[in-house]
Amino acid sequence: MRYLLGKVGLLLLTLWAAVTLNFLLPRLMPGSPADAAIAKLAQNGPVSPSTRAAIEAQLGVPTGSAWDQYLQYLNNVVRFDFGVSYTFFPQSVASLVGTALPWTLVLVGFVTIVAFVCGTLLGVLAAWKRGTWLDTLPTVGGTFASAFPYFWTALLLLFFLGYVAGWFPTSGAYGSAATPEFTGTFLLDALYHSILPATTILITSLGGWILGMRSTMINTLGDDYVTFAEANGLHPGTVAIRYAARNAILPNLTSFGLALGGVVGGSLLVERVFSYPGVGYLLYTAVVNQDFPLMQALFLIITISVLLANFIVDILYGILDPRTRR
Amino acid sequence: MSLVSVQGLSVVYEPNGAEPVPAVKAVSFDLDQGDFVGLVGESGSGKSTLGFALTGLSRPPARVCAGSIIFDGVDIAGLTPSQLRVQRHGGFAMVLQSGMNALNPVRSIRNHFFDIFAAHGHVAGRDREARAAELVGKVELPASVLDRFSGELSGGMRQRVSIALALSLEPRLMVFDEPTTALDVLVQHAVMDTIRELQKAERFTAVLISHDLGMVLEVTERVMVMHDGLIVEDATAAEILAAPRHPYTRMLLSHYGDPRAAVVEVPGLASRGTERATNVAQAVAGGAPVVEPVVEPVEPVVEPVETTPTVRRREGRAAREAIVVSGVSKVYPRHSRRDQPVTAVNDVSFTLEPGASMALVGASGSGKSTIAKLITGVEHPTSGTITFGDLRIDTIRRRQLKRLHTEVQMVFQDPYAALNPLHTVEYALTRPVLNYSSLRGRDARRRVLELLETVGLTPVEQFAARLPHQLSGGQRQRVVIARALASDPQVIVADEPVSMLDVSLRAGVLALLDSLRETWGVSMLYITHDLLSARLVTDQIMVLNQGSVVEEGRTATVLQNPQDDYTIRLLDAIPAPRSSAPRNPS
Repeated sequence: MRYLLGKVGLLLLTLWAAVTLNFLLPRLMPGSPADAAIAKLAQNGPVSPSTRAAIEAQLGVPTGSAWDQYLQYLNNVVRFDFGVSYTFFPQSVASLVGTALPWTLVLVGFVTIVAFVCGTLLGVLAAWKRGTWLDTLPTVGGTFASAFPYFWTALLLLFFLGYVAGWFPTSGAYGSAATPEFTGTFLLDALYHSILPATTILITSLGGWILGMRSTMINTLGDDYVTFAEANGLHPGTVAIRYAARNAILPNLTSFGLALGGVVGGSLLVERVFSYPGVGYLLYTAVVNQDFPLMQALFLIITISVLLANFIVDILYGILDPRTRR
Repeated sequence: MSLVSVQGLSVVYEPNGAEPVPAVKAVSFDLDQGDFVGLVGESGSGKSTLGFALTGLSRPPARVCAGSIIFDGVDIAGLTPSQLRVQRHGGFAMVLQSGMNALNPVRSIRNHFFDIFAAHGHVAGRDREARAAELVGKVELPASVLDRFSGELSGGMRQRVSIALALSLEPRLMVFDEPTTALDVLVQHAVMDTIRELQKAERFTAVLISHDLGMVLEVTERVMVMHDGLIVEDATAAEILAAPRHPYTRMLLSHYGDPRAAVVEVPGLASRGTERATNVAQAVAGGAPVVEPVVEPVEPVVEPVETTPTVRRREGRAAREAIVVSGVSKVYPRHSRRDQPVTAVNDVSFTLEPGASMALVGASGSGKSTIAKLITGVEHPTSGTITFGDLRIDTIRRRQLKRLHTEVQMVFQDPYAALNPLHTVEYALTRPVLNYSSLRGRDARRRVLELLETVGLTPVEQFAARLPHQLSGGQRQRVVIARALASDPQVIVADEPVSMLDVSLRAGVLALLDSLRETWGVSMLYITHDLLSARLVTDQIMVLNQGSVVEEGRTATVLQNPQDDYTIRLLDAIPAPRSSAPRNPS
């Protein structure tokens, strides 16, 4: 319990620090968004003072002391008010992020968890049946598949299964005729659209989990408590799972935390290739169009997701490893 | 009929792509119900391999390649893994060498017991809790340990738990593989007593595998001595004590001595009387070779070092200085609010005179290694002063450390961990030579070879090119000592330099350390829990208990006439195979 409270405290502290940094960093940069917009206009000729006034009025100029701005900002963050997007004017940043986030969370988050679970199980099996085909096949296959770059696998799948064979749609998260709603047909359509991007992520990340788990598992199999468990005649299944795998998984949880944290921010390439309307695609759009409010909100979301993922892994550690509880 | 009958058993190691190495060679013996048998040998003799084969635990690359192990009428060498698994209940159990790590760190002790009960189904569900509590009671632990995890238990407690776990199989044969080696001296003694009493009460057949002939002779009725994969002697403990037949047994036995005796002697090392340093070179030359040529000693006892002018580099150096430690304490701050601050060293004062050798003796946790850290400037004391000449070690800054380490060097306990496995001996020795002297190029290399000669690793050219894994433990420790000598130090702090070595190698390393003092005037702080070796190589002794000095004086005087209760307990914990009086278990 003390452990849990400590971790929650740490989470709140880091969250506050992240939010504050997100407030400070843009203010430490020289210039303002209005300057940037005016500089762009100035390439086509002189900018009149009235134009400048109009742009500043549109974007808003900070008033009050830095402390007041900070309080105002905190207040806005708590109410998920991140202002209005430049690119998708007049849509609010909050609604844009709100539409994109579920797609990414469901697709990339789910696939990351599936890859971790499957990869870990295959790794356990490979180490336990070391030297047999159950070891060779996943190890060699995993190494081979994960050696391809992310986007290359995506392009290959897209080309062969999308264009050539025509089995799967090549872009988007749902058909152009469908509207997002909770009906069976729509969910089936979304699932159908998600198969290619999901397969891409699965193929490229599975190998790493298999190899990681296999090598830690082989180390644990040499540990004395595994030998002792065998000497005591425990069931082979108990030895493999409760003694060897249970300890071998602990170092891999850290990598899992990192992968989970990268779900929101790291899906940029795959979402770009498949034109998938998730956070990565949104971030890409924001960067290309210099959409500062949108970028700021997305960076904050990415930071928070990393913190949350690490918090979850910390809690998992607390449950799985009695040594961390003290 | 005997319980276990081993006939012509051979075990080979077959590493992938390498030549198979025989570890156990056509060994035959019988064990009767209720026997307590010792299996003694040095590292590499095949004793653990035999123990693993006896309990059906041979795993690749080890393989039983010939012979049979008839356990109660069944040849267990020929059973399938699942048949073997079933046999373990009421059959054979094993307690591993590093019992500290024999417990799953993420499962509670209770679950360890329940896993075994579930695997064999010999204890009904509702009786399991009571049975587990009864078993931990047998090894003198409270039932509350069942709720704990292995990380929360001390080494001795963990080893007791693994004995209780092995016992829960209701075995008829129990193999103890070095069950107390990793434990503190006093704890070793207590755990051994528990094993002895359990064996008497439960009447299982026990095999005690150990490198420590002294302990085995004290505990068991019958002893099998193993050397190079063969059982070279199989006799009762009394017979072996009275008339060891095999030269190897005689060699092992000759390395035991009573540190309390007036004259103590092991091969290659002089007895040290009450007066100061006897001449080691003389003793080595005078002592008759105990090892007969039939058994090749793994490493020859060190020859007295010729002190050529090139080796003696003392000239032109600053006058020799003493290390003066006065009123030194070290308190480690508490880790969390629940802990208490730990006082590792409490108001310790002593002077290590130039050319003197002093033993720092105590059980683990007595603060002896902390004192080594303080003297080498690795840590600063909380209070008190340490000086070396005009150098204040207690407040030393990083920049001055190099100056200190030119004069004060350390020899570590574990020769297997103290050398980088990727670098040759020459590289390991060249580094400090370049670091601490102005020698470069050919001169530096000559100095490296000189150092190797000093520590008796000849032919030097050959040893210089070797990698650590191509050396025996004793040879590695010599390299570590040579490395410490590279800066031509005045003081050597040796932290348990021989505790990881085989008995037959210990004397050689100790003789080397002693000769360095004789020929070079290097003073030595010898940290150990082994009172016999302290008696052999030191003149002064300090006994530490929980950070405080409880006794100090001349080594011979203190050991012959100990005043403090703690010193007496340490002395009592030493196995004394040659003392005929039976000691009562404490």
